[in-house]
Amino acid sequence: MMADLPPPVPQISDTQVSAALTQTEVKVTSGFRGAKISIYGAVFDPEGRPSDIVVTLRGPDEPVRIARKVRIAGLWLNSRPVVFQGAPGFYHVASTRTLNEVGRFAALREYGLGIDHLAIAAPAERRVETLYGIRDMVVSSLGADYYEWRSAVVRLKANGGLYSSDDSGVKFVDPGLFRADISLPASAPTGKYQAQIVLFQDGRPVAIRERALTVEKAGAERALYLFAHRRPWMYGIASVIIALGAGWLASRLFRRT
Amino acid sequence: MDLYLPIAEVSVNAPLLVALGAVVGFISGMFGIGGGFLMTPVLVFLGIPPAVAVASEANHVAASSVSSVIAYSRRRAVDFRMGAILASGGVFGAIIGVEIFRYLLLLGQADLVVSVSYLVFLGVIGSLMLWESLDTILRRRRGDPPKPRRDRRPVWLYALPFKMRFPRSRLYISIIPPIVLGLFVGILSAIMGVGGGFILVPAMVYILRMPAGVVVGTSLFQIIITTSLTSVLQAGRNQTVDIVLATLLLIGGVLGAQLGARVSGRFRAEELRAILALIVLLVGLRMGLGLFINPDDPFIVLSGAG
Repeated sequence: MMADLPPPVPQISDTQVSAALTQTEVKVTSGFRGAKISIYGAVFDPEGRPSDIVVTLRGPDEPVRIARKVRIAGLWLNSRPVVFQGAPGFYHVASTRTLNEVGRFAALREYGLGIDHLAIAAPAERRVETLYGIRDMVVSSLGADYYEWRSAVVRLKANGGLYSSDDSGVKFVDPGLFRADISLPASAPTGKYQAQIVLFQDGRPVAIRERALTVEKAGAERALYLFAHRRPWMYGIASVIIALGAGWLASRLFRRT
Repeated sequence: MDLYLPIAEVSVNAPLLVALGAVVGFISGMFGIGGGFLMTPVLVFLGIPPAVAVASEANHVAASSVSSVIAYSRRRAVDFRMGAILASGGVFGAIIGVEIFRYLLLLGQADLVVSVSYLVFLGVIGSLMLWESLDTILRRRRGDPPKPRRDRRPVWLYALPFKMRFPRSRLYISIIPPIVLGLFVGILSAIMGVGGGFILVPAMVYILRMPAGVVVGTSLFQIIITTSLTSVLQAGRNQTVDIVLATLLLIGGVLGAQLGARVSGRFRAEELRAILALIVLLVGLRMGLGLFINPDDPFIVLSGAG
């Protein structure tokens, strides 16, 4: 999805933005309960025009499969599943003011700033494909209902703390110096994250910076995850041996007492 | 103390899970059931992805069953031969069940099938057991003579070929009914994330007419074999067994099962059955409720997209 994102920003002045993350790697270990990431940066503008900053942190894209509950003969059943592409696994947008005050609709849409402007798959025409070995799966556009489905994707992600926005999440701590704090929940997916810092003046984006963040499992978590995926059968046998051994051990212990 | 689970990818409260394992283990040891039908819904409620809950739970059931089978076998209350025959059907059932579950996940209808299975099987079995056990209890209270036991076993049990002797159960019957029963329970155990004891125990009493004393131990013995296989299959095929989750549950589970197996001797069989019937019925109704009440959100995220 990053591919169809920003075309180079026209540099109409010497105005620049520079930014950095407090940490570029988040280690997910057994005690992981989420992380707090701070993005800070500076605006260089010789003319000192009023500036607005929009910061987004975007996790790796992952397809989302959702179904609608439909009532059939008095029972609530699932409709057939619909797959949405292009939904980031985590998305947070923070800005100095509400996004509508910061920039114009076209600019926000172009840079994918704000949950409403995420390119969660809307291919123009309806496609019916064979996916995962199942025939007739609707992959994308749902005609008139499309908007409802898309907002359901966003709502369900937001309920899980994975999508959020903060209209006052970016603060100028000193003229030209700003800071944004973003909290990453424990349920945030692992992978490569992109932070995007956009400087707006007069409702137009004038400078942009991108920073990368990696969230990965570490230590025992990583070892177990790799074991489960690289040697799944061995892993299964090991887990059964632990289970049977524990059961046997417990009965031994109880017999003695 | 929170712990991040490597496969489920959520953070959970470790002491809570150990305690939960102990409670379910206690019930399991007491009634001779795996306890999966209780644990799986609770895990899903705690936010564990259903596919991981179903698979890891099989591991926990195996552990607490071993713990109580050893306790039962000391009392010579396990018919190993019958257990092995049941399990030979159960093995094929588990393989079929894991494949059915994969297919249902892809269709997006796994939730529905799981809810309906819980409602139908737990509801019917719970009601039947409750009715039967209350009837027995009331008769005893009134001082009526116990219902004459219909010692005449169904003819078809004897008419079928491949007869085998089961000395511990004092039976000489065809091995076809136990194999079919095992097959059926194996399929259910993979789909519902349960050991299947709640079906096996009544089926052994009412269909195979095994003596009540060996039913519980034998059921647990067959559950060990089926759930061990289910664990390996789920890990190998779907990578959904969370070893950390399973270990937390089984620490509590094996201890609880020991206590449960000890306590069970102090109750009358029909009283135990009445309590178990109530638990089964309540869980079944709770799981089925989702089919009837209006959902909070008209949309749901389905797992297994990738």
